[in-house]
Amino acid sequence: MTTDLLHQAAPATRHRNGAALGVGLLVLVVVLGVVCVLSITLGTRGIGLGAIVDAFRDRDDSVDATVIREMRVPRTLIGLCAGAALGLAGALLQGLTRNPLADPGIMGVNTGASAFIVSGIALFGTQSMTVYIWFAFAGAAVATVLVYGVASFGREGATPVKLALAGAAVSAGFYAITTGVVVSNIEALNQMRFWQVGALSGRYWDELVRSAPFIVVGIVITLLLGRALNGLALGDDMAVALGQRVGRTRTVVVVTVTLLAGAATAACGPIVFIGLVVPHVARALCGPDYRWILPYTLVLSPIVLLVADVIGRLALQPGELQVGVVLGIVGAPAFIALVRNRSLAKL
Amino acid sequence: MTKTIRILLLSLAAMSLVACGSSSSDDSGDAAWSYTSGNGDVIKLDHRPKRIIASAAEAAGLMQYGIKPVAIYLAQDLDLEPGLEGVDLDGIEIIGQEWGKIDAEKAAQLKPDLIVGDWWPPQKAYQGFEEGADKASLKVAELAPVIGANQEGSLEDVVQWYEGFAKSLGVDVDDAKYAAGKKRYAEAKAAFQQAVKAKPGLTALAVAPGADLLYVAVPKYSTSLTDFKDWGLDVIDPDSPKADFPYWEYLSWEKADKYQPDLLLIDDRGYDSTIDVAEKQPTWDKIKAAQARAYTPWPGYWVHTYDAYANQLEQLTRAVEKADPGIA
Repeated sequence: MTTDLLHQAAPATRHRNGAALGVGLLVLVVVLGVVCVLSITLGTRGIGLGAIVDAFRDRDDSVDATVIREMRVPRTLIGLCAGAALGLAGALLQGLTRNPLADPGIMGVNTGASAFIVSGIALFGTQSMTVYIWFAFAGAAVATVLVYGVASFGREGATPVKLALAGAAVSAGFYAITTGVVVSNIEALNQMRFWQVGALSGRYWDELVRSAPFIVVGIVITLLLGRALNGLALGDDMAVALGQRVGRTRTVVVVTVTLLAGAATAACGPIVFIGLVVPHVARALCGPDYRWILPYTLVLSPIVLLVADVIGRLALQPGELQVGVVLGIVGAPAFIALVRNRSLAKL
Repeated sequence: MTKTIRILLLSLAAMSLVACGSSSSDDSGDAAWSYTSGNGDVIKLDHRPKRIIASAAEAAGLMQYGIKPVAIYLAQDLDLEPGLEGVDLDGIEIIGQEWGKIDAEKAAQLKPDLIVGDWWPPQKAYQGFEEGADKASLKVAELAPVIGANQEGSLEDVVQWYEGFAKSLGVDVDDAKYAAGKKRYAEAKAAFQQAVKAKPGLTALAVAPGADLLYVAVPKYSTSLTDFKDWGLDVIDPDSPKADFPYWEYLSWEKADKYQPDLLLIDDRGYDSTIDVAEKQPTWDKIKAAQARAYTPWPGYWVHTYDAYANQLEQLTRAVEKADPGIA
């Protein structure tokens, strides 16, 4: 009798949980929709709703219409893609390393991508993203492997603190490379801010079209990895016992992180915070199951990025504050809170 | 033949003049020296400075009069410094190629007796020693007195400051080899004033297009723009300069059409690449002058010699002559 009850109760809880989580996800999708509308309507240039509707209805060539169609819309879409990519890359890294501080920002993956991009621009004189996105992938891959490798030295393996330290060191190194290249190369100098602090301004359809395909592929792969990440969360031995090919999973995860973080950095420069914090928020909302964490992260991340971007647009009129700076300001206390929170010390 | 002899004689005369100049003011060249800096401070040394460390473009101001610094520091890579284009840097050590990062150890080894970098009134600091520079880099300013021209006011005054500086070191600045540049400058200035006069109502806006923002120069804090305004060109004053860096108004690209000049003056540091960046922005063409391709390079804060100023004015005069005051 008791055992029966137990057997029945477990799936029932999960089911209800699942339904609630599904509704929660739908609510977040609606919120994301609202945020997208705000991102199109709010900016340094005050544009009335009527003019915004006109911009979509007829193909007039007014300044307002140009700003909406060629600046705010692609900017919002890049925010969507890059936000999702950075958040998911963070969730993947946290799942892979079982480390709460794993994040493409902290681990220097984004700065690695940036450093390779500016080096590519300097070496080959290309400003075309079709070319330099590949440098971004290479940089992201090098940084991921380097930081995880360095942090894994020693008996305890890659502990959160070691990972953060190795990440900080590698980030600093890559940042120095970026700065070094930037000050000696005028092509890079003119784009400097992007490769030092991420921004969504000055990025248009071109950047979107050239980065979105990689990000979409990365998102699809990530959403299929939920079960595998749940396995990794139990520890390698357990995962193997459950019939998972751990080595293959790790490889796929690293490649996907590279794809997501590299493409996001190529689109809008190095951005921290999203990949670190959003997966934790998602985990707090829906528990340890990566099959829920990943979609929640997917929807929450662009919400955070776009809200931060809108704040940056309105903060420094008639100029703008880069979204990377806005997130950096919010990110530092969040990082400290995470380091100090013992319950997060192990994933 | 006679021509060669005449040149020889002329240069001999020039040399003796230089010799006279220095010997008349003192005997050994070791007499006390003083000169007034751009911030009003009078810098005094017990001998004439021989070992000068200079900031990049400022070095060009010295070297036009044959005053060779022992070392220079730059705010960026040497290739990107328009002020040093064509300047022979043989034998001059380069002790910094990034803003805020001067090699203090090398600087100390060189035992400078004077450091030359211009004075920036909004930041109340000499070039290279502004707030935010590396701590070690700031220490360089303690090695020797720092002196420089005032970067608020007229660019002609800046160039003249270097002329006066050379004079204080005993250089005969009126010598024929220096006079040519000065004369060409005077002619270029007159031609510019004439060209502006012939285009009543012509407005100009000085900008530096960046990938994320459009930077609009504030004439009050640009010595060249101050001169252009004084000489009759209507350079637009942006209304919201950045509070803590008042050289520019930072303008989002969404608002690029905020000011509508007839002629765009574009910061010439990396000019071609800057134009590429600007033309990528969907709103660049919403500035009517940009759409009409009415733009010309503008020397962004680096001119220190009569020659360079003359070149810039000649180029600008051509642009003004071509400009259409009815664009905006």
